[in-house]
This record gives sequence, structure tokens and C-alpha cells, in this order.
Amino acid sequence: MFSPGACHLRAVEGKLLFWACAYLLVGAGALYFLKPAPSTAVVLIGALATMAAFWGLHFFWSWTGFAGDPFLLPLVAFFSSTSLVFLYRLNPAYAVRQFVWLMIGLFTLWVITRFLLRYRVLADYKYVYALAGIIGLLLPIFLGVEQGGAKSWLDLGLFQVQPSEFVKILLVLFLASFLAENRLALAEGTRTLMGIALPAPQEWGPLLVMWGVSLLLLIFQKDLGAALIYFTTFLAMVYASTARVAYVCLGGALFLAGAAGSYALFEHVRLRVEIWLNPWKYVETAGYQVVQSLFALAAGGLTGSGLGAGLPQFVPAVHTDFIFAAITEELGLAGGLGLLIIYMLFVYRGFVIALAARDDFACLLAAGFTALMGLQTFIIIAGVIKLLPLTGVTLPFVSYGGSSLVANFIILGLLLNISHETQVGVVEKRLARWKHWRG
Amino acid sequence: MKNNIRRLSYLILGSFVVLSLYIGYVNVFLGPALATDPHNRRLAAYEAKVHRGTIYDRRGAALAKSEGDRRSYPLGKDAAHVVGFISQRYGRTGLESAYDRYLLAMTDEEKIEVIIDRLLGRPRVGNDVVVTLDARLQQLAMRLMGKRRGAVVALDPRNGEILALASSPSYDPNAIGQPAGRSPDGKVLTVYDLLQRDKGAPLLNRATQGAYPPGSTFKLITAAGALTTNPEVIKRIFNCQGSLIIDGFRLADTAAHGAVDFYRALAVSCNTTFARLGLEMGAERFYQTARAFGLTLNPWAGGLPEVAYRPGTLAPPEKMNKPHLGSSAIGQGEVLVNPLQMALVAAAIANDGVIMRPHLLARVQDPYGGVLLQSVPRPWLTAISPEVAGVIKEAMVDVVREGTGRGAALSGITVAGKTGSAQNPKGDTHAWFVGFAPAEKPRVVVAVIVENGGAGGVVAAPIAREMIRAVLTAGP
Repeated sequence: MFSPGACHLRAVEGKLLFWACAYLLVGAGALYFLKPAPSTAVVLIGALATMAAFWGLHFFWSWTGFAGDPFLLPLVAFFSSTSLVFLYRLNPAYAVRQFVWLMIGLFTLWVITRFLLRYRVLADYKYVYALAGIIGLLLPIFLGVEQGGAKSWLDLGLFQVQPSEFVKILLVLFLASFLAENRLALAEGTRTLMGIALPAPQEWGPLLVMWGVSLLLLIFQKDLGAALIYFTTFLAMVYASTARVAYVCLGGALFLAGAAGSYALFEHVRLRVEIWLNPWKYVETAGYQVVQSLFALAAGGLTGSGLGAGLPQFVPAVHTDFIFAAITEELGLAGGLGLLIIYMLFVYRGFVIALAARDDFACLLAAGFTALMGLQTFIIIAGVIKLLPLTGVTLPFVSYGGSSLVANFIILGLLLNISHETQVGVVEKRLARWKHWRG
Repeated sequence: MKNNIRRLSYLILGSFVVLSLYIGYVNVFLGPALATDPHNRRLAAYEAKVHRGTIYDRRGAALAKSEGDRRSYPLGKDAAHVVGFISQRYGRTGLESAYDRYLLAMTDEEKIEVIIDRLLGRPRVGNDVVVTLDARLQQLAMRLMGKRRGAVVALDPRNGEILALASSPSYDPNAIGQPAGRSPDGKVLTVYDLLQRDKGAPLLNRATQGAYPPGSTFKLITAAGALTTNPEVIKRIFNCQGSLIIDGFRLADTAAHGAVDFYRALAVSCNTTFARLGLEMGAERFYQTARAFGLTLNPWAGGLPEVAYRPGTLAPPEKMNKPHLGSSAIGQGEVLVNPLQMALVAAAIANDGVIMRPHLLARVQDPYGGVLLQSVPRPWLTAISPEVAGVIKEAMVDVVREGTGRGAALSGITVAGKTGSAQNPKGDTHAWFVGFAPAEKPRVVVAVIVENGGAGGVVAAPIAREMIRAVLTAGP
């Protein structure tokens, strides 16, 4: 397992992790000194425990010579710090729960980077993913509980699970393995119709079925945000693997047809669009949330009201979908854009991993996960700032929500494993060349 | 495949750039409007914590101040429209609304102080605003108006400082929330509810939002257009026979003035002469002249917010036939103006053709008296040339010395002015007077309107006279 070269990577990671921890400490310290009391000391304890967990993972990787990307863990530490600090500021009870989920997420990450380094085995079970995904989406329709207008949660007594958060991983796994196998056929076609090269039905059929079923299920769950993420990720991966603009156009047309259809059929979709076009008309009712979000975004000015000094609690659901509004209110435009830049760095590293990957499956898997994270971030922030109609999804790693957090750590783990494999391969090649030269 | 992924990454990272730009747009460009939106509960929450600043007049008299958690208005009904009020229930109006962010110390530059105050646990104190109004003039104007409806505006033509902005009837802003009666179905009505139902429109700020026919005061604009078109006008002799037939439409005059020159025509306010001048210059030039005086413009558009303003209205030249043009030239027809607008017309003549941007904000100062913002006089429009202004000024001096405006004359001070008695559908003519003094070096412009008051020279001119006397004898 040990690989030379990993030392350097882990050293970079350690340095960056140091800054992420300093950031967390400042935030937690500010919250503590706002109201210094024995009861608020919990925020300091939580911060120290979080730091210990991140450092623990870092040292474990250093010790085992894990050669995964050195930037992702510090970036995620930034997200987690922001998340804990803001959730504590909004409602300490949420922060405590989120802390527990963060620990579970980090443990999951450890499991994946410890036991799933041979992630390639995942390519063999694509129809298992399809089936599991469909079941995962079906369950809430029959057994689920409704929250915020979407029926996408399963109540497990102690806590609730949102299967669609995990199904998005299955979707990317399925698409990556399926497209890696069939991408040439899809790109060039195996038959011609009126002079146009077309693939055979068995090459595109499963794709369409998988996509259609997931979309229908999401419509029945009324979970528009997840539907949008699935759909855009699907398009991104098909484009990445085939480069046929026709597919993207076809997909876009299907999307427009679907959008128009659901606009005509479903009251809640129509309302979303109308609120987006003119929230002031519904300012006391359905448009209240997004208008309050705009107020929060503008309230902080350039540098923000300061942590704890704003009034983000006026925005309903500010701890989940609208946490970005709270961050921008209290850290200002500078803080909001800073967070966006961290997301851009995350997406950038994800694509770097994809571009360096050794084969089609790894490459598509990394690109798919990265596109998923990037698109999800874009969709929720665009909704919060009223650039697009609002669809309720979480801001990755930052919004309150256990399912989302654990799912994102699984994605992080797989990205790291892909980069580890690439890095080990590079080093081995270099070693081989060196041995060859030495003769 | 790697190329596609590279392109995909550009697309996704590019969409983040779009996000950033849009967030910047919301934060920076929509920010001020969002911060003061009535639906934004932050304002109320913030206000509850901030000691709202005081509004002072130019001599240091308080116009609005906070006492405990109550806001009081020492001038009461005498400055109700311009100072405005704040109320949880009825919103905010006038300067209380326009200067909210100063009074609450909510501008971006004050962020650091907010943080320091918070850290030190100090109560937050808003800034004070000093306005150009003079409380004594404001009270005088309201006393002169008495129970009559109308408005009085006084301003300094040299720098655009508004000294008085009075509107009658008025109300007591200290009492708007108090119960005052019951509706037919038994609900308790507050003072504000009754004011809203009052047919006399006491809530309307007539000085800036009124829409009145200007009557003969508008001849100043016709004169300016005629003199600009042809300076030889002053050498002509007009023959007034008491009426003028324009395309079959009979435009009546108050009397047959006989042979008059330009100065005499203005002094006696001869309708036929000015209708003729209007017809000679044509609709296009007439319209352009009115626009040059800012008739259809808002002097506060896009700048610092002041009080609500209703720009004047005038039919565009292509819709103006000859009878219409002839009546518009003497301020009848479909011309509508507000009193501040007419004061600005007189200000242009007083200030060699240049209208200084009217303003109410003098400065913003912190609670310790340090000046945070000082307003600087800026020209708004150049209406006419200094030569044309000089000729009209001379004619306006004649108006007060020997013409219709004798009611505004003061001993020892040369007053220039123009009267108007504007016909309107609601009864007696509106009495108008606009003027300035001293004519040699004007320091104050006054515009007065008394709704359905009768003749301008009899009703409005004396009010203007007392305003001018008060300004010029009180010192700077």
C-alpha cells in the first residue's frame, strides 16, 4: 500500500489543513466569546473534536502512504467548519446533530479510503445500481414522510433518511460503468438511418429507461431539486463520454418538454416559476422565503454584518437550503464569494482527477461526481439568489442534513481513491523507467 | 473524451462565475432598495436597537427627534409633509423615509463602528441630519396660509437650498396613530385613517406633488422662448383688443390693453400678446423651452433621495394644435405643474439662467458633531442665456412696481415677480405668485399658490411679500 511520493502530497495537505483549522477556531472562538458561559463551551469542544477527526484522517493517510489528492480534504474541512459555525450560530441543536453526522461522514470516508481502494470492482454491478436506485426512489413514495412539500424522506425512528441523496451516487456509478462500456457505440453509432450514424437500441435503451424512471419517481416525490440534479448530471456525463452535441440537444429538448409538461400539469411547479418571475406578488405567502433570502443577501453589504450580528433567522429553512443567504449576510459579499471560490477549487480538483485518471471508467466516474457536486452547488445557490427558480437541494457539505453529508463524503472518498490510483500508477511507471535506465 | 471533460469543466466553472456576478449585482446594485424595502423586517429589528438620529433645520432647531422609544415632531403640522413621519403601521414618508440610512447609521462605511459598538456593548446611535429648511420660515408660511389650501415654497436661487416647503391643509404627525373615531361598522379609526378618507387630501404634499394649471406665471416660460428665438421682441409694439381668435377659438383677455410693449405686456399680464408670442414660436420651440426649465423632469431622479416629486406635464408638440398652443402659452390648456417647479422657473431667471439642483440635505453629522457628508451645490439645468434672464428680470420688476404684482412690493427692496390667476374646473381661479428679491442680487425665490383663492396679485402676492421680508431681514 505504501507509495513513495505520497509523503509530499500529505505534507501539502497538512499545511492546508492547518489553515482550515485556524478558520474553524476563529469562528468557534467568536461564537464562544459572544456569550461566554460554560454551556457555550460546547462549541469549542465541538471545534476541537472536529479538528482532531480531520487531523486523525490526515495522519492515518500519511502513515499508510495514501496518495489521494491533497487539496480535497482541506477544502472539505473549510466547508465543514463553515457548516458547524453557522449551524451553531443559527441553532446550536442543529450544530450538535450535524457534528454527529460529520463524524459518521468522516468515518465513512476512512472506510472507503481504507477498504475500497480497489474501487474498480464497482464497475461490475451496474444493473444492481439501477435496481437499487429505483427501489431507493420508490420507497419514500409508499413509506415516506413529507417535508417542505417533498415526499422524499424515510423515517427510521431515530433519524430520517433521504434516499435520493444516495441514489445520486448510484446514478453516477451506473452511468460511468455503462458509458465506459458503450461509449464508442454511442459516439459513433453501429448502424445508419438516413445517413445518420445511430447506436443500437440495446446501447441507449438502458440509459433512457434509467433516466426516465428516475425522473418520473422524482416527480411523484415532488422533489424537483433532485430531479434537476439527476438530469443535468446525466446530460453532462453523456456529453463527456460521447461528445455528440446531438445527444445534448436531444436531452435539452426532452428537458424543455418535461419542464413544459410539468408546468402544465403540476400546480407546485407553476407556483415555483411564478414566484421566480415575480416574488413580490407573493411576498406574504409563497414568495416570502426567496424575498427574505434576497434581503439577507443584500443586508451584509461587502463585508457582512459580522458573525452573530445579522438577522438570517428571518429566512425560513435558513439552516438547510438557504444557508448560503445566512453566510452572505454575516460574512458579506466577500464571504459569499470566498465560499464560492472554495467550491470552484473543489470542482477544479475534481476535474483534474478526472483528466489524470487511467481509464474511461475512472475518468467518467470522477467527472460525473465532480459535475454532480458542481451542478448541485450551482442549482441551490442560483435558487437562493433568484437567478433560477428555487428547487430545494442542499448546499454540499454545508447545509444541515445527515443523508446529504454522508453521501457527499462517499463521493469524496471515491474521488480520492481514483486520484490515489492514478498517483500510484505514475510513481510505479517512474520507478520502472528508473530501474530500466539503471539496467 | 478528455477534451469533452475539459469543456465540461469550463462550462461548470463558468457558471460559477455567472453566479458570482449575479450575487454581486444583488448585493451592490439591488442592495440599497432591498435594505429599505417595507417587507424587510431587518429595518424594524435594527431600528428597535438604534437610537434614531435627529433632523435639524438650518439653525439647529429640531424637526424630528427621538424621545425614549417615541419619535416626536416639534413643528407638528407646520412641517408635516416635508419632514414626514415613521410609523410601524403606516410606513414612513418625507425626509424620515429619504434619510433613513443616515438616521439609523446604516451606510456601508459605518460597518466597522457597528462591530466596535457591538463588541463594547455600546448602544448604537444614529446620525443626525441637518436640512436646509428654516423652521421659522416654515411656520410663517403655514401661518400665512391659514385655513386656505395651497402651498408655499422658498429657496435660495444661488445654491438650490430649499428654505421652506409648506403644504396646507396639514396634520399633526405626532398624533397619526391615535384613535379618532369609528367607522359606520364600528371599527376604531385612527387619525391617519381619517386623514386618508379626507376629501381635502391633507396627506398630499402639494408643494412637490401638486398638479396645478400655472396660469399667467407660465408666461415667464413663453417670454423666455420668445426672447431666445428673437431678441428683437423687446422693440415690438403689440395691440391688444381684449381677445384673440385662433382658428375659430376665442381666447379672452381680462381687458383690452391697447398698444403694449413686451415689458408692459408682462406687467399687465396681457393674454393676447403672450398667446401670439406662443403661436409665433411654434409648438416645438415652446415645448423645448418648457423642458429647458425642467418642466417634465424630476430634479432628484437618480441622485440622493429627497421627498416625493411629481414632474409637470405638458402635451408633446405633435399633439398641440393652435388653440391648444395659444392657451398653453398663457398657462392654461393642459399644462400642469407643482409649486416647487414654478419656484425653479423663477430661480432660473434670478440666477442668470442657471437652475441649481434643489435640495433639502445640508449635511449628515455623527452624534459628536463630526461631519460625515456635506452637500455641495450643483447646477441642474441651464434654462436660458444670462441676457434673456436679464430682460425678463427687468419685466418682472415692472410687474411688482406698477403691474399686477404690486401686492408683493416692499419698501427699500426691489422685488421681481409674476402673478397668475389660473382657471380650473373646481371653482374660483387658483391664485399664484412667483418672484424673487432683491432683484439686483437675488437671495430668495418664493412660489405661492392658494387654491381657488381668486386673483394672484391680491391673494398670493402678499404671502410672498411676507416670506421675502422674513428671509431678507433675518440675515443669512
